Amino acid sequence: MQESTFNELADLALRNSGQHFAPTKSYLMDARLSNISRRESFATLDDLVQCLKARPNPRFEQEVAAALTSKKTSFFAERETIEQIVTHALPQRLKLSKSGILRIWCAGTSTGQEAWSLAMRIREDVGSPLASAQIEIIGSDLSTDCVETAKRGVYGHFDVQKGLSIHRLMTNFNRHDNGEWEIKDDLRETVFFRRQNLLNPASDLGGFDVILCSNIISSLAKPAKRQVLETLSKQMLPDAYLFFGPDESIEGLSSSIKPSRDMRGAFIRTSSDSATAAA
Amino acid sequence: MKHCLIVDDSRVVRTVAGRIIQDLSFTVSEAAHGAEALELCRKDMPDAILLDWNMPVMNGLDFLRALRREDNGKDPVVVFCTNENDSEHISEAIRAGANEYIMKPFDAEIVESKFSEVGLV
Repeated sequence: MQESTFNELADLALRNSGQHFAPTKSYLMDARLSNISRRESFATLDDLVQCLKARPNPRFEQEVAAALTSKKTSFFAERETIEQIVTHALPQRLKLSKSGILRIWCAGTSTGQEAWSLAMRIREDVGSPLASAQIEIIGSDLSTDCVETAKRGVYGHFDVQKGLSIHRLMTNFNRHDNGEWEIKDDLRETVFFRRQNLLNPASDLGGFDVILCSNIISSLAKPAKRQVLETLSKQMLPDAYLFFGPDESIEGLSSSIKPSRDMRGAFIRTSSDSATAAA
Repeated sequence: MKHCLIVDDSRVVRTVAGRIIQDLSFTVSEAAHGAEALELCRKDMPDAILLDWNMPVMNGLDFLRALRREDNGKDPVVVFCTNENDSEHISEAIRAGANEYIMKPFDAEIVESKFSEVGLV
């Protein structure tokens, strides 16, 4: 890949998703754009970039930007955070809820495993107060392809064997004859997916009791980190909880949110102008 | 160090799985069928058993049922590892006392994930 191609693609990623690429990560661009490149019959990424420059196409540019994001995920990848949400954050929110409705946003959920994992874990709490709550989970991602995969809820042999116990697999999936496994219908009733660029306002999603945004912030350039934190914090209902990946830091990036004193690993809003579009 | 017995009639599978499981800090022993595995368990009950289904002499399911009737036979964590990947076989294995189930083909990440699910790593 020519240096100018790397620079063009890095700029494109920054503009469209806020993602920061160091020059040492050019191999990630090669890997993540290989499918698009093959589909469009480009011999090299240099050709792809030349085409984008010669015939600007915002839709294709967005698709390239989405393809450049990490798709790495697995079921129960953030196991401790899911436990914290189900055993502490949601019961706490339920105590304060007048409607009995709790809304969760998995922001940047890639192909949906995180949102489905949360739904599975919540459903296991049969005897807890959560069993009587009406819980809605929204999963969002920048990539239309990822959102479509998440909506289909059909996963391959290798996907369902990483992070899922055999009991969870048998309880929550039906097996197809071709060896793929599909999420059962009853689990689908509470989980919804849509495309969302976290750099843009998400006010039409409404307010949330819990937001989970793992392994997104750490991949972004600093101004984009601030913008995404703004987007997320605006959708937090009063006293709602926001969780990031376990190794992610937001120190010095936002004056709108701060670590929760009561909830390990969670963040809360500092100001009172949180989302009012309560469910 | 924990001990895992790998029961599979394929020497290739035993070798590949053995390397993966050794990397998870287990000592590994091998048996080519259920009857041989049962003999080994009677002498030295392992902490974990990676178990194929279709084998000569004694298949994995018969071995598991026999194992669970042995003194201390409920102790080992048994992880099936088989080409029998349909729901009926999985349910039958769980009813017989399997703790986890790996569908072949597998890789190191799957073995580690499944061993983690049952507290082995």
